[in-house]
Amino acid sequence: MDNSFLHSKKLLLVDDEPELLKMVTAILADEGFQRLVTAANMKEGIAAAETEKPDLAILDVMLPDGDGFSLMEQIRTWTDIPVIFLTARDEAADKLSGLGLGADDYIAKPFLPQEFLLRVYAVLRRCYKEDAPILKLDSCTVDFSRAEVDKNGQILPLTAMEHKLLETLARNEGRIVTVDILCEALWGDNPFGYENSLNAHVRRVREKIEADPSKPVSLLTVKGLGYKLLARK
Amino acid sequence: MKAFGKYISKYLLSFFAFALVLLFVNILAFSLTFSGIVSKEYGSASPANMLEAVAADLAASGISEERSQELERNHIWAMLLDANGACDWSVSLPEEIPTQYTIQDVAVFSKGYLQDYPVFVRNMEDGLLVLGYPKDSFMKLTGNYFPVRAIRLFPLFVIGILAIDILLLFLVYYFSKRKISKNTEPIMASIKTLSTGKPVALSIQGELSEIANSVNQASQVLSRQNQARANWISGVSHDIRTPLSIIMGYAGRIASDAVASGNIQQEAEIIRAQSAKIKDLVQDLNLVSQLEYEMQPLHKEPVRLSKLLRSYAADLLNAGIPEKCSLEMEISKDAETAVIECDARLISRAINNLVQNSIDHNPQGCAIRLCLACSDTATFLTVADNGVGLSAEKLQELEEKPHYMESTDERLDLRHGLGLLLVMQIVKAHGGTMEIESAPQHGYKTVLTFQIAIM
Repeated sequence: MDNSFLHSKKLLLVDDEPELLKMVTAILADEGFQRLVTAANMKEGIAAAETEKPDLAILDVMLPDGDGFSLMEQIRTWTDIPVIFLTARDEAADKLSGLGLGADDYIAKPFLPQEFLLRVYAVLRRCYKEDAPILKLDSCTVDFSRAEVDKNGQILPLTAMEHKLLETLARNEGRIVTVDILCEALWGDNPFGYENSLNAHVRRVREKIEADPSKPVSLLTVKGLGYKLLARK
Repeated sequence: MKAFGKYISKYLLSFFAFALVLLFVNILAFSLTFSGIVSKEYGSASPANMLEAVAADLAASGISEERSQELERNHIWAMLLDANGACDWSVSLPEEIPTQYTIQDVAVFSKGYLQDYPVFVRNMEDGLLVLGYPKDSFMKLTGNYFPVRAIRLFPLFVIGILAIDILLLFLVYYFSKRKISKNTEPIMASIKTLSTGKPVALSIQGELSEIANSVNQASQVLSRQNQARANWISGVSHDIRTPLSIIMGYAGRIASDAVASGNIQQEAEIIRAQSAKIKDLVQDLNLVSQLEYEMQPLHKEPVRLSKLLRSYAADLLNAGIPEKCSLEMEISKDAETAVIECDARLISRAINNLVQNSIDHNPQGCAIRLCLACSDTATFLTVADNGVGLSAEKLQELEEKPHYMESTDERLDLRHGLGLLLVMQIVKAHGGTMEIESAPQHGYKTVLTFQIAIM
């Protein structure tokens, strides 16, 4: 999926290790993010959040003058921008997921650049929708705002279920999405036993998006696991 | 009550032996004390002997000079009363003793005392022989009669009292012992727990409270040390993470830098891959120590294993596995709904370590299979590969080797890796079991068994 529309977002990075800040900014700049703001401690972080008005904050949990959690709480008093935590502790993961502090994601150090970028994109995409999200597939384009598939000029409408299914797969483009996650997206919590219905929906989506539904090239089955959507190269 | 019976059988015999010894000692002490006096009083000067001697010596003219001297030597006086109560003759008769007696006088003194002199009488042919011993030399029982029934009961009474005494003594002994053992048992149990390295908290009142306090203190020292060790490892692993992030970040950047030469890219990729290994090691080390010292709170919740396994496999394939390796899933129909109480993050970690072991030990590539099956009460999670496998000796070695935390051996090759140790600990923390099967060139298979949660 094309993420370039997200490159205009302003990112605030707060970490007390200057080398790490330098490395993370380099990775983000390589990727195309141009509006990057950094801060080394809580005080600077709050000031930067106030004056720069970032679209996403990436916070270290341990800061010299406080912790990332209270920094987030302070920022959240006037804005509800998404927050990703960088943590060097295993326990922090439990704390974040357990206490439901309202962070959008956490990344445990050490992390790989690719993993880091994926997480950042995922959070940004969730919070800032593209104005006209158009997905280009091998033999068609999908317009999510109109819930339509354009297959060589032939317009095929998507049902609500098909729309949700395609959207979930598109958000994870190129990655395997398990049947469990798809069922949850379509039928909500505890969706056990819907595998056959899911198969039926997949079949119908394939009829709309694939040139040859019996030999799919865009919506692939990963045996025993789930499905994978591939965008046009 | 069982303990009581056991206790009696154990101590009764020795207790009775002790009681008998006590009785014997008492009798010995009694006889040693009184034998001197008794033998003296039953010697030639005893009333019975003296009466006999005097009676034999008695003639119409009185007694011989020799006999009267013997009486005087022993401060005994003597007299003979005739049938009318008059004194026929006397030896050393004190002045206050009368010489004429009525039948009432005789009846009274013959049982006891005459003017405070203990007197003894003997019936003679021609009168009554009376011997008077010095005042306070003998005590006479003036009311010397007992009911025959009481006399007959006496031996029974003695035996009964003796038996009751012994029983009471035994009960006192038993209860005091039991009180001690009641207080020592928790101490013993605590020391046993302490020896496995787990903390204890004892609360005991009374004499043994000091020991209990010492045990508690030892436990506190132990848990403080464990806490310190766990904190130390967690601190080190924390401090390594940030520099490692920077190394991995830059290595990754160089590896994908189009401007860098192929050689440099390859080398950067090696740095990246090795850093990833250190990352896993650091995470494992921290987790192992947290689990070992029970610092890691388990976030157990009902988890559908099939979902967890698929999610893990999807993440692994999305992140990419070596080209020569493949991953296959096999979840039986009934295992699809199996739910266990577990910490999902830890179970994923255990599966990952097993899968990574298969990948690492088979650089030539292998097919990895993840299977989930279940019975009525348990689920069986299998991670298997078709790689090089292990020989029987190596497999045995693997199962018997002590791990990092327990080994005091300096030879590192005698311990096995952290990865498998962590799997063992995670399985243990979830009350499950782990089984390894392997044969050379026939792959390596690990089966983790967990109890199904009763919903």
